[in-house]
Amino acid sequence: MTAAVPFAQPEVRHEGHLKVTGQARYTGDHYPDGVLHVACLASPTPHATITRIETRAARETAGVHAVLTGADIGDVRFGRHLRDLPVLATDRVRFIGQRVAAVAAETREAAEEAVRLIEVDYDDLPPVFDPRQALTSDAPVLHPEAAGYLTMRGGTRELLEHLNLQGDLLTGHDPEEMERAFEAADRVFEHTFRTPRQHQGYIEPHGALVWFEGEVCHVISTNKAPFTLRSHMAAVTGHPAEKIDVYNRFIGGDFGGKGFSIDEFVCFYLARATGRPVRSVMSYVEELSGAGPRHAAEITLRTGVTRTGVFVAHSADVVFDGGAYAAGKAAADLVPHGGLDTMSAYAVPATRHRLRTVYTNSVPGGHMRAPGEVQAVFAGETHVDLIAEELGLDPLELRRRNLRGADRVADGAATVAEEVLSRAAAGVDWTATRSPGRGVGIAVYRRKGGAGRGGVVLRALDADRFEVVTGAADQGSGTVTMIARVAAAALGVDESCIEVIQQPTAVAMFDQGAGASRVTRVLGAATLLAATDLRKMLAEAPRFPIEVAREAEAPRAEDSHAFGAVSVEVEVDVETGQITVLSAVLVADTGTVINPLSHRGQLEGGFAFGLGAALMEELPVEDGQVLAGSLGDYKLPTAPDMPPLTVVNVGDTEGTGPFGAKPVGEFGNLGVAPAIGNAVARATGVRLRQLPLSAEAVYRAVTEARPQE
Amino acid sequence: MRLFQYHRPTTVDEAVGLLTDLGDEAVVLAGGTSLMNMVKLGLAEPEQVIALRGVRELHGVDTQPSDGLTFGAMTTLREIETSALVRGTAPGLAEAAHHVATVRIRNQATVGGSLVHADPNQDLPPMLMVHDALARVTGPDGSREVPVADMFLGYFETVVGAEEILRSVRVPVPRAGMRTGYLKFLPRTRDDYSTISVAAGVTLVDGRFEDARIAIAGGGSVPVRCRAAEAALVGNGTRPDVLAGAADVVPGEIDPISDGRGTSGYKRDMARVCTERLLRRLVAEARA
Repeated sequence: MTAAVPFAQPEVRHEGHLKVTGQARYTGDHYPDGVLHVACLASPTPHATITRIETRAARETAGVHAVLTGADIGDVRFGRHLRDLPVLATDRVRFIGQRVAAVAAETREAAEEAVRLIEVDYDDLPPVFDPRQALTSDAPVLHPEAAGYLTMRGGTRELLEHLNLQGDLLTGHDPEEMERAFEAADRVFEHTFRTPRQHQGYIEPHGALVWFEGEVCHVISTNKAPFTLRSHMAAVTGHPAEKIDVYNRFIGGDFGGKGFSIDEFVCFYLARATGRPVRSVMSYVEELSGAGPRHAAEITLRTGVTRTGVFVAHSADVVFDGGAYAAGKAAADLVPHGGLDTMSAYAVPATRHRLRTVYTNSVPGGHMRAPGEVQAVFAGETHVDLIAEELGLDPLELRRRNLRGADRVADGAATVAEEVLSRAAAGVDWTATRSPGRGVGIAVYRRKGGAGRGGVVLRALDADRFEVVTGAADQGSGTVTMIARVAAAALGVDESCIEVIQQPTAVAMFDQGAGASRVTRVLGAATLLAATDLRKMLAEAPRFPIEVAREAEAPRAEDSHAFGAVSVEVEVDVETGQITVLSAVLVADTGTVINPLSHRGQLEGGFAFGLGAALMEELPVEDGQVLAGSLGDYKLPTAPDMPPLTVVNVGDTEGTGPFGAKPVGEFGNLGVAPAIGNAVARATGVRLRQLPLSAEAVYRAVTEARPQE
Repeated sequence: MRLFQYHRPTTVDEAVGLLTDLGDEAVVLAGGTSLMNMVKLGLAEPEQVIALRGVRELHGVDTQPSDGLTFGAMTTLREIETSALVRGTAPGLAEAAHHVATVRIRNQATVGGSLVHADPNQDLPPMLMVHDALARVTGPDGSREVPVADMFLGYFETVVGAEEILRSVRVPVPRAGMRTGYLKFLPRTRDDYSTISVAAGVTLVDGRFEDARIAIAGGGSVPVRCRAAEAALVGNGTRPDVLAGAADVVPGEIDPISDGRGTSGYKRDMARVCTERLLRRLVAEARA
């Protein structure tokens, strides 16, 4: 059973008052004495060699303290795993927006003025923008020097068959087994889907403040993994890790994007060159053109099905547009892993996935809320509906027949997956008759999350005073409050007795940082361990002060999945193509809820995030040039765009987190796009195989499908 | 952004004097909701900025029985949206103003700014055109009146000269019985510029169109009055085929660009659909 008590009382955010009173200081709020401001010169061309850089006029600009180019700092490269992105370009630029020079000056305006005075001569190289084209034998090679690239773990990596491949992951059954499995199928269906680049859309852009005190390099930045940032800065700059201190407390939105450091490195070199604190905050133009948006993808799915609608074989070929650098990806195989989850909710006996990420002369791809999985679930759950359509089966019934775990139930009881799916269907009154232009759609998925390592120090100052010390940055999801509630519950004291203290990396225990929906699983578990042990110690011999330090690790192989389903009813205006979501239901099998308001916020916010990705978000890129310069052009959904949404928590399966909690950070957004697309198909007979499901795309499809007069 | 000199005149004459003295380097700042965004993005780099907020004679809504409504250039869109006078006399203007962005922005943005900025997607200009509104412009050589329908030359370009400022906008007494309405087509989020928008004013007498005015925004470099569509209505009844016939004319009267809000062809088609829907609405309201 999952535990409802002691978490039934909705939480009050511990850091809430600091935020609503404006006292919480985000990276951009720091202006230490003597601070210098940064502006960078960006490449205006997608692919070129640099033949000359002239910085004299910039250096002579009033207020300017340093102008750096690749020639000054050398060929220094960084990346979350593969270090292929230069801090400043040396000999070659590979995307529009790549940093070529950096200025530190007394004011941001002076820095920008100096940037305007830097002259650069470029010798254009042939660019390549289409990933498929980039994989042809005569395509321009973006990184001829790739063999020498280092990884963050040290050493180089094995080169792939084509130099324009960032990553090439093959998993599942071997080709012969797959062939046999497909042969056993009565029918085989194949469909191709496309999804665009999308931006995380946080309000706070990337930024960093770096300064030196003697040999110690201090960093405050928007990176959500302070310890990882510290080791990366050490690896990239050669500065000893023990002499780098990162203190990131408040982050103004993440959505996957704040694991990728960009400004920290350039600030390091400018701070070292000037001896002053150096502050860089990206403009939204820089954000949209260079901060690691979601990868665009082309996904071809093939599924073999028996006459009775049972999936017997499934293969996926996913090609991600990686952009000019692989630096934004954290995993060693350099692919957005969620691409494997094309059929995550189903039991398919034979599967094979190939995920490739390809270098192109466009903005480098990064992580965004369930990387790869958003693309995969849209493709997979649209594919399943298409199969149902062709088999003449109810899409709900086809899903039921193939759900994971269904065969393990002997007594006929519904599995969690079945319950999730059924509740979603019931929530939109699946079988009701609807007027023309209206329809319902559904999507189901299964998500794993939570792997990683981290620790906390728990200190008892008195019988009713405890401190928890953590190095975690809170990107808005409620980390601090979650830690306090877990500690209070395990110690058997009131939450008001707990103070959570965020400390810099020099003081706090190691923590892998926010990402992969791990924080509650890992830091919650570490807090639970510490509190349980401390309680025992105090019961045996009460004495103060006393502290314990505990670490927790969630292994990658841990069975930490949760099922989710989204159902919607839509109305389509066939004269304009406009989709209105009339109502929506999000059903989640999410275990014990520790922070009820944040949990709901993650699921509702996740739905809104998915709604944007489904209906309106596309980062427009033409010949490598990002065509949106602000959130006025790149539109996100706002409150009036949200449909009435019912969130349903089901199941009593315990999660692997503290008290049976499960991860929900990257959960609520996954099923929205396919559910809407499936509903549109049932409402209009028109099927879209790409995102976003814009009004114009629906209008075109409806117009084309209409019989000619 | 680049730093600039900031001037705060208190009279129109002083503002015009500054414009004349400072020449090309000077721009006029009204509410700042467009100019400051452009400055921050580096799309405008003025060296001199003349702020009109302190010019008292540019504020306020005035009404005279023979002249109709006169809006000082610094009248905010929120004032137009909420003014009982406007709602009583020209409710379509309040309706169009209501569709601009958010309350925060409407509290700041001004009628003068929304005209002189000349972004072809603005909500208020097509409705002012339906009302045959006149803009009063003052320069070193005195004042002149220009129909709003004639003041736009292209993207972000108007007939207001470099040494002139827009002083006020006059909305003549509306024709007796004219019913106005505004349809802003927002296929992405409800917080956006329009993909296409239609303003219309119709006067029905004995079931026939005695007068009709249709203006489209977002259909090209400037908002336009669709005189041919209007002509297709005047003298005719309100049968659906008449309304559809007038709407069919609209796509040929506009020249939209393709952008993130839709392709040119889609905007043309939507101008037709939206015109027809708005006409149907106004006819239904007139009957009710």
